Amino acid sequence: MSGTIVRRANAEPRWLRVTLTVLGLGFLFFFLALPLVAVFAEAFAGGWGAYREALSHPEALSAIGLTIFIAVVVLPFNIAVGVAAAWAIAKFDFRGKSLLITLIDLPFAVSPVVVGLVFLLIFGAQGVFGPWLAAHDIKIVFALPGMIIVTLFITFPFVARELIPLMQAQGKDEEEAAVSLGASGWQMFFRVTLPNIKWGLLYGVILANARAMGEFGAVSVVSGHIRGETNTLPLYVEIIYNEYNAVGAFAAASVLALLALVTLVAKTLVEWKMRQETEMLETALPPEKTE
Amino acid sequence: MSIEINGVGKRFGNFVALDDINLTIPTGELVALLGPSGCGKTTLLRIIAGMETADAGHVSFGGEEATHLHARDRGVGFVFQHYALFRHMSVFENVAFGLRVKPKHERPPEAEIRRRVLDLLKLVQLDWLADRYPSQLSGGQRQRIALARALAVEPKVLLLDEPFGALDTKVRKELRRWLRRLHDEMHISSVFVTHDQEEALEVADRVVVMNHGKIEQIGTPDEVYSSPASPFVYQFLGNVNVFHSRLHGAWAEVGRESVDLAEASSGARGQALAFVRPHDIDIEHAPMSGGIEATVQEVHAIGPMVRVELAHASELVEAELTRERANVLNLARGQQVWLKPRQVKVFNVPAVPLEEGGSGI
Amino acid sequence: MKRVLPGFGLSLGFTLVYLSLLILLPLSGLAFKASSLSFEQFWNVATGERALAAYRVTFGASLVAALINAFFGLIVAWVLVRYPFPGKRLVDSLVDLPFALPTAVAGITLATLYAGNGWIGRFLEPLGLQIAFTPLGIVVALTFIGLPFVVRTLQPVIEDIEPEVEEAAATLGASRLQTFWRVLLPGIFPALLTGFTLAFSRAVGEYGSVIFIAGNMPLISEITPLLIISKLEQYDVVGATALASVMLAISFVLLLAVNGLQWWAANRHHGKERVSL
Repeated sequence: MSGTIVRRANAEPRWLRVTLTVLGLGFLFFFLALPLVAVFAEAFAGGWGAYREALSHPEALSAIGLTIFIAVVVLPFNIAVGVAAAWAIAKFDFRGKSLLITLIDLPFAVSPVVVGLVFLLIFGAQGVFGPWLAAHDIKIVFALPGMIIVTLFITFPFVARELIPLMQAQGKDEEEAAVSLGASGWQMFFRVTLPNIKWGLLYGVILANARAMGEFGAVSVVSGHIRGETNTLPLYVEIIYNEYNAVGAFAAASVLALLALVTLVAKTLVEWKMRQETEMLETALPPEKTE
Repeated sequence: MSIEINGVGKRFGNFVALDDINLTIPTGELVALLGPSGCGKTTLLRIIAGMETADAGHVSFGGEEATHLHARDRGVGFVFQHYALFRHMSVFENVAFGLRVKPKHERPPEAEIRRRVLDLLKLVQLDWLADRYPSQLSGGQRQRIALARALAVEPKVLLLDEPFGALDTKVRKELRRWLRRLHDEMHISSVFVTHDQEEALEVADRVVVMNHGKIEQIGTPDEVYSSPASPFVYQFLGNVNVFHSRLHGAWAEVGRESVDLAEASSGARGQALAFVRPHDIDIEHAPMSGGIEATVQEVHAIGPMVRVELAHASELVEAELTRERANVLNLARGQQVWLKPRQVKVFNVPAVPLEEGGSGI
Repeated sequence: MKRVLPGFGLSLGFTLVYLSLLILLPLSGLAFKASSLSFEQFWNVATGERALAAYRVTFGASLVAALINAFFGLIVAWVLVRYPFPGKRLVDSLVDLPFALPTAVAGITLATLYAGNGWIGRFLEPLGLQIAFTPLGIVVALTFIGLPFVVRTLQPVIEDIEPEVEEAAATLGASRLQTFWRVLLPGIFPALLTGFTLAFSRAVGEYGSVIFIAGNMPLISEITPLLIISKLEQYDVVGATALASVMLAISFVLLLAVNGLQWWAANRHHGKERVSL
């Protein structure tokens, strides 16, 4: 049933409907659409040439490269731990399960600046491991490893949060059937579980990726802002914005805005795909066993 | 292959799901585990399959210990209540799954897999659906695919959890007959779980009636229906009138000629309960020796039967007559009549309150 | 106990080790570090004049932003679920923009829009309304980043309202406003409160989008995360640690509040279902 079809008795008077629609859409226009348009308008304020020049600056290119690199390193970890956590939580009963679910959400609740500081306290010069790291000439904060670690922290919940409700709803019947038909653990996982969760997994990865590429606060604390070395694209935007290079800042920002748009489109497509699948199942398959 | 269950027990927290279950299922038999929901029948089935671990006791197949064998290695075919078909695989791939996941040296070649899957689909009469997906099938079709999938690995025993539970009445009746025929062809030891007494009586060679984690009676459908071993079995299988102790004297008089009540009546007279099936009650206009007097309350014609509700003192009695007999009697509301049971069974124990199925009075 | 499905030990073990090493140990490291400060040290920083002002700005702006989001979020969710209009799918997807757009981009864009010569600021300036580089700017940024929370928590709940409930209210003589106020709002209130708390919780910790538009004047428009950073930049690790542990404690409380609210909403829902049977 679609939510848009509302019966007569439930309809607001026309004037109220129009008022609410105008209020709601007006709010979204000023807070979402206008900023989105503004990014691109500012980026192209100096014309196409200036835009291209701003983006082909070596520091901009290295920032883009670093941003992609961090995301590529971080995502496999997110996938592995997200699937593992969801598997344990959705398919088994154990003590402390709801505590575990709460702890998985923890990185969402902590301020990015605090996250950065936490790792500074551990790996920084005056930190717990600081002297040892310095003695062995290993650099973690103000270097790439630190940026990767805080990004891992920040993006930890995304995949698990998508998969847990999905796998709980799917139950364990299919996996049990696979086992009773003689499948080994990995056979069961790759042939039965993974195909069932692939869209949910992709959804979580898309969200985690957007956050990994866009994270600012936490990465800013541990990066040390070394130009051309530890600047991700969001950090690069800040630096040149503070140098009053508006076109350059918005050119770099437009790349990130484009990433956001791609994220939204991909997210919408995956949502559509998932809804299609659950609808097919809801109309076709009987409800999960509740006994 | 036979299945032996010795002293199996299982608890979930404080709830005793199974209590010292002993059961042997001979080779080639089709056995029904029958009981109200929560009686432990599904738990027992899952323990046989290795999906659940018993807290105590042993399960063996054909004399071979299987208690600690993993579900994967038991060689059982399991048909899930809601089928558990792999939703992203076609019907063909669902049935082929068990063959495809075999270790390489045991796995049949592709052509052989194809042949066997198509044979199975023919057996369940659904070979024309090979390329469909589970969501495109009706409930009955899914049930049969689930069965074909379980049979593909040539299991030694076949276990079915409420196989017809999710289907509508008409499809259920067809599938029942079909399962019976299939079983007669394949002759594989099979156990199915049901809460529907009619289903158990119609399909099974042997019925295991369970309640509160215990086996109440094991027997052929005729045995459990005609000579129930306990008040619970009596009440669970079909409608029954239960007469409380203060009526006992009157019924004992009636029954003395046809049923041996010596034991029951010599014992704790006051606590005995008499059980009579509605179709075992005769109604006459004239007083009968040993009959009791009652007033006709309602007369309903239901299909081939006529159901008569009668009142004796404050007790409600239900009787079922054939149409011919009802026509002869021509009963009307408020009439005084005489009742006499053809068959009565007296138990000394209090009747178990009914939870599901059957209806007591 | 033996389990039929494989991988319980592996998956739970891996999750716990990962969670402990990456999240729990580092966070308790902060708590440990904070506990090594003397109480006086801690108290002086945590309740210093600048810190108190920063809390006021952070929580005040977060509260106002979350309230704006609760109000408009309810309207947006209602409109998106109930009213047909062209381009609805597009608008619906756009609601997630603040999740997808990096906060730094949001920060510089909002600062530009609301500056005196910006697209919006130039219309507000003549009215005497200065937004960029004032606490109002912080509210704008926090409203932006918290926007999806209320809408996304409310949408499924509004979708699940059975039309029969409203029809019943109508047949019993309730006006549309009465129906909304007495029948619908109590049903969606837990979700509204959850969305509000999520938006508030996110706003309290936000840094990237705020610093560009806030002006960052100590005592006036300086948020707590920024104060932590400036302490760090002055190599005042003690001060940063003290403030961060205050923030962390508040995060915990908010996380528990969200969990409690969700539990409440779920259990109310159960109760409702039992009645409708």
